[in-house]
Amino acid sequence: MNQDGKKRWVAVVGNPNAGKSTLFNALTGLRQRVGNYPGVTVEKRTGTAFTLHGEAIELIDLPGLYSLNPRSPDEKIAWQVLHGESSGVPRPDAVLCVVDASNLERNLFLVTQVMELGLPVLVALNMVDVAEGRGIRLHPQELSQKLGVKFIPTQAHRGKGLVELRAALGQSLAHPGPRQWTMPPPLAAAVGQIAAAWRESLPAESRAEGKALELLTGSNSGPEGAKKLAAAWRERFRKEAYDWSAAVVHARYSYLQTVLKEAGIGSGISGGSWTDWIDALVLHPVAGWGILAGMMMSLFVSIFSIASYPMEWIDAGFTGLGQWLQGWMPPGIVCDLLVDGVLAGVGGVVIFLPQILILFFFLGLLEDSGYLARAAFLLDRVMHPVGLSGKSFIPLLSSYACAIPGIMATRTVEDPKDRLTTILIAPLMSCSARIPVYTTLLAAAVPVALVPVWGKAAAMLGLYLLGTGSAFLLAWVFRKKMLGGGSPPLILELPPYRCPAFQTVALRMWERALIFLRRAGTVILALSILLWFVSSFPKSSEDESINLAGSFAGQLGHWIEPVIRPLGFDWRIGIGLVASFAAREVFVSTMSIVYHVGGEEEGLIQAMRTATWPDGALIYTPVTCLSLMVFYVYALQCLSTVAVAKRETGGWKWPVFMMIYMTGLAYLGAWLVQIVGRALGF
Amino acid sequence: MVKYEQQLEGNFLNLTQVGPGTEVRVSRLECPPTTCQRLREMGFCENALVTKIRGGADLVCWVCGTRVALSARLAKQILVEHVDGRS
Repeated sequence: MNQDGKKRWVAVVGNPNAGKSTLFNALTGLRQRVGNYPGVTVEKRTGTAFTLHGEAIELIDLPGLYSLNPRSPDEKIAWQVLHGESSGVPRPDAVLCVVDASNLERNLFLVTQVMELGLPVLVALNMVDVAEGRGIRLHPQELSQKLGVKFIPTQAHRGKGLVELRAALGQSLAHPGPRQWTMPPPLAAAVGQIAAAWRESLPAESRAEGKALELLTGSNSGPEGAKKLAAAWRERFRKEAYDWSAAVVHARYSYLQTVLKEAGIGSGISGGSWTDWIDALVLHPVAGWGILAGMMMSLFVSIFSIASYPMEWIDAGFTGLGQWLQGWMPPGIVCDLLVDGVLAGVGGVVIFLPQILILFFFLGLLEDSGYLARAAFLLDRVMHPVGLSGKSFIPLLSSYACAIPGIMATRTVEDPKDRLTTILIAPLMSCSARIPVYTTLLAAAVPVALVPVWGKAAAMLGLYLLGTGSAFLLAWVFRKKMLGGGSPPLILELPPYRCPAFQTVALRMWERALIFLRRAGTVILALSILLWFVSSFPKSSEDESINLAGSFAGQLGHWIEPVIRPLGFDWRIGIGLVASFAAREVFVSTMSIVYHVGGEEEGLIQAMRTATWPDGALIYTPVTCLSLMVFYVYALQCLSTVAVAKRETGGWKWPVFMMIYMTGLAYLGAWLVQIVGRALGF
Repeated sequence: MVKYEQQLEGNFLNLTQVGPGTEVRVSRLECPPTTCQRLREMGFCENALVTKIRGGADLVCWVCGTRVALSARLAKQILVEHVDGRS
């Protein structure tokens, strides 16, 4: 409990990739997402941990920081929490600094800043096994004595040191002592004056100094008098060509180097590790691209080959369930609703779960192994000419899974224009919801027996490359022509490789499976029932096709058909396009309902392949299927993405722009496929 | 009062001009203030020892116990000197 008898709040702070979320999970028993690349956590998360005496403490897991001078939105979130300016959580009562023991000098730089916040500080000396593996001898006791805060060695991923950490959290944590690093004289004079102007309203001297330094750095919070003084000192330093910000960093690092030297802690070996050996291959200008392409191809081959077996089982399960229901229930509206509405809609989408899990398995391996940062490094060469840095590629790569976490991951991008551009193009990266649409249309376009697995994988890869290539082209238009300004330079930490933790990858797959099934059981179920209703009523005939044409959905489809006809789409496809505005995968369930095929994948493909125009011509020609796939590569058919884009850009302007440009691009792309296809005689 | 311009003497190389495997000392940063600040916070402060691991269009350095990737454009703005005093 804190002094007011309320539950204590402890902020978990540290450099990116120091193991904060792993430690947070170990202490709270929660499953906050972790990964082996900087910037996994982009928002604050809270959880309850218990001390050895059973006292409940609220932990706040924060995005990683290199310093308390925030630049990117995720760093600002951490800064706001530490200064008590964040909505939803109070100012923390203490700070738990998580430092990477194999990289102490830079990690302790942040600790020296946190110690000036005026809060009690406890340090978790994490990843001691990695440090010792590098030949670094750690002396936590000496570090505690020299820095004046308690250091506890931990290995969060193995659960080691947690008992000691819980015991320390249960004790009354001491405030750090006065600043020990030597401030250069000109700076000391400035900080002294600014702190004096502020001291009356602040209890601890160290905090006044810390605040004064922040004001000098450009922070905007503080009394007017102190702010004016800070501005005057900045101007004076500028005139005297005194690089005071360099002097502060230099002074802190000099102090830390002395502390580490006196504590007998070296920096360990700097090269020749297996990470460097792997990097020599994966970052090679030629071999690196080959490896990246090979991994992507393996992903798509796996999606079609390995996933086919569980997909057949799910397909057989839904088919059997439909037949059982038809045999068990008397014919009528309820039976039609269950078989042609619920089973057709939900089953038509759930069947793609294995493919989506394979995608997340591969992404999990990339994230947890440390390869993701290397991919960003490689892609920087491609991103730079379009005005972005490789750092934007991590959010874009996340968007292959889903645009929502991808857009949220843009919080790690420091430059606002870069961030906006990345948000605008993120939905062009083909997300997992497009897999059911692509797979169905690829199968409808060409008979399965005629195309080997690698052929389908190559076609799928082509669709992904179309989305990615277009995203880069549009990034160039948005960043260089529309928003202006130069592209930012790449500065990215490359974590050491590690063997992916099966538990982490499996957890990610499990979470995505739950999200997918929850969507199938809620949004898709509701839309399936609605679609069954609007495509079944009003009843005009016993003939299903005539009845569908006269139904509410049929009328809507006929109404929009003139608009989509140039794309080669008929009114039934039109129903699918409108219905899938909420979520792309609804297209497949809609088509299953429209063609009355129950939950069977093969039945839907057959129905599509034999569907004809009134003159008897086939609707789903290879050109029309390609046109439809291109439409789905570009169209923003996802309400959740629109909602998250609104939240992250702070208004409707950019989400509306996103919807307009993507819909326009989808129409234009699909139309061009038809034009070129016809010109070539298809 | 410290003036870095006054401290510096002689000619310096930039980080793209040293070969992989070379350990150098950072002498001066010539980038915009916010980029300089981030570089310093990540360990590329004046007098810091940096080992270049990989060269090329973008490069990788070992600094403060971590591998950091930098674009060549940024590396050109990091002036360095050999630790043995060679320039």
